Amino acid sequence: MTSRALISVVDDDESVRESLPDMLKEFGFAVQVFASAEAFLAGASFDTTQCLILDINLPGMNGFELKRELSRRDCSIPVIFISAKTDAVIHARALAEGAVNCLSKPFSEAALLDAVQSALRIKKRI
Amino acid sequence: MNSTVNELSAANEALHARWWLSSAGREAHFRAISDGIPESLYLATPSGAVEIVNRAFLDYFGVAIDTFKTRQLIDTVHPDDAARFLAAWKESNETGQPYNVEVRRRRADGQYRWFDLRGSPLRDHNERIVYWFVLERDFEDRKRTEALSAGEKRVLERVAQGEPLTVVLDALCRLVEGIADPCWCSILLIDPSGTAFLHGAAPTLPRDYNEVEPQVGKLTDFKSGPCGLAASTKQPVIVPDLVEETRWDENGWRSLALKHGLRSVWTSPILSRSEKVIGTFAIYHRASGSPSQFQRDLIGRLTHIASIAIERTKAEEALGKVRADLMHMTRVMSLSALTASIAHEVNQPLSGIVTNASTCLRMLSAEPPNVEGASETARRMIRDGHRAADVIQRLRDLFSKKGPVSQPLDLNDATHEVLRLLTPDLQGNRVSLRLDLSSSLPLVFGDRVQLQQVILNLVRNASDAMNGIEGRVRTLTVTTKRIDDHVLLEVKDVGSGFETQNADQLFDSFFTTKSDGMGIGLSVSRSIIESHEGQIWATQNEGPGATFSFSIPLTPKSNGATT
Repeated sequence: MTSRALISVVDDDESVRESLPDMLKEFGFAVQVFASAEAFLAGASFDTTQCLILDINLPGMNGFELKRELSRRDCSIPVIFISAKTDAVIHARALAEGAVNCLSKPFSEAALLDAVQSALRIKKRI
Repeated sequence: MNSTVNELSAANEALHARWWLSSAGREAHFRAISDGIPESLYLATPSGAVEIVNRAFLDYFGVAIDTFKTRQLIDTVHPDDAARFLAAWKESNETGQPYNVEVRRRRADGQYRWFDLRGSPLRDHNERIVYWFVLERDFEDRKRTEALSAGEKRVLERVAQGEPLTVVLDALCRLVEGIADPCWCSILLIDPSGTAFLHGAAPTLPRDYNEVEPQVGKLTDFKSGPCGLAASTKQPVIVPDLVEETRWDENGWRSLALKHGLRSVWTSPILSRSEKVIGTFAIYHRASGSPSQFQRDLIGRLTHIASIAIERTKAEEALGKVRADLMHMTRVMSLSALTASIAHEVNQPLSGIVTNASTCLRMLSAEPPNVEGASETARRMIRDGHRAADVIQRLRDLFSKKGPVSQPLDLNDATHEVLRLLTPDLQGNRVSLRLDLSSSLPLVFGDRVQLQQVILNLVRNASDAMNGIEGRVRTLTVTTKRIDDHVLLEVKDVGSGFETQNADQLFDSFFTTKSDGMGIGLSVSRSIIESHEGQIWATQNEGPGATFSFSIPLTPKSNGATT
């Protein structure tokens, strides 16, 4: 496990913005949180962010749109989509958009950790 | 030339009358020519004494001619009509002019009936009035028919206004009791299985009898009583005298009826349009007897109205049930359409709970345990648990199958709750929600769940209408405001709008412009708003899209929802 890797979380739901960073910090990650895609684009440090945990359903620009915007900017942060919608179509689309994984809320600690570690491996290769 | 003939003829008549007045056989002659006439005909002296009468007169008063001659005409006039009668009589005696007056006269059985009285003077050769020649015509039946028609109209109006069946049947019984001779009326209904009697109405029947009415609950067969017989044979049953009756001794009906002073009963089946027996209409009397033609007609007309009232109520009940089922169906359909939103609403707090729980365990198992952090995550778990429960409660309220409950409510609050449920859907459809809710909106009186269903329908429709709209922001505006004594809610979209020629049809059942719509959402919305005594309508925007609005009164007349 890479210590102190920076992970960004973008979610409009406050309870996710509170709980997810605490969990990630327990595993030794540094965490930045944003309530919207626009806030992420405005405030995130693209160079140091190792992994982006991104909610699909957001007010304004949604998760898919943010992923495409990052690609347009040649930003290759690995993305883990999270969604409260349990819809196979959305999952398939998330993977097609080039995500590392797509997790349905609620997800287990193990599932998240697996996804984060996959993302960090990919980031290393890049 | 003509006038000469008329004068001669008049002079001849006068001569004839004078001869007749002094003729010894005039009474026999009068009887011979007037006994066949159905109206009362008589000669009275100017002092009011009756001298010569016809058969109809004697029959009406039920007296012999000799006894009648000792009476005055005024004797049998209703006390309330006496002054009017005397005034007319006095004036005619003074002026010698014919008189015409309507009064009630007492018949042999003590009953008063309306009469039209017309008197003309007969003069002797000195032009002195010797007699008044009087014709009395009984117009009681006409008067009753007029009262009956007016009464029928009132009852039918009550039927049309949707008053409860018991109220209508009660009015029907009282109408008959007010028109017919002293009697008690009773209407029995037949239960949905078609086999047993139920109470319908019997507003004046002796209470002791009515409470134990042995025909109620019994099978509608001939054994239960005269009404059972009428129902099972579909024919009227006339029991002229219960004393001489031998039927219905077994179940004690006859003795009970006699004990409460019922002596005769006439009962008729109430038939539906399809000739099914749906009740019985009975008239009870203290005296023995059979119905007159007028009474038979009366019973026929009243059973017909009872039939209309009963059938109409049954149709209303059936319609009410269909409407309730339909409302529930649309709610369930909305529910299935909302599944994704609901999953989202519930999964969000669940996600928080699961993540916090994992973190909490990890913090507690650390060395040393991070109690402060664990407490914080536990607090968040409780909060998110409540949040999930709130979502479930809102859904349960919205989709439970229960009757309407009228209560004062804040339409802004109701709107917020609906929008919270719909937010994920609206976000998914990239709808930009704009709220323009009045901060001083008065409370309205209504059913929260029903009104929320209307708001939900309108907002979902507006969102759907903007599907596929590109090149402009998909703005959905919800507005609330007070207008005079109403509260108005508007849902405005910038979507495809509707064809203006369809505006009137939009709220009809099964009218839809959506490829996947059933076309019942707006129809149900309209019936909900109408049950709140409000109005719902749609207008095409000046720019793109449409605005759907409803308004409901602050103080409804009937105090709330009715369906």
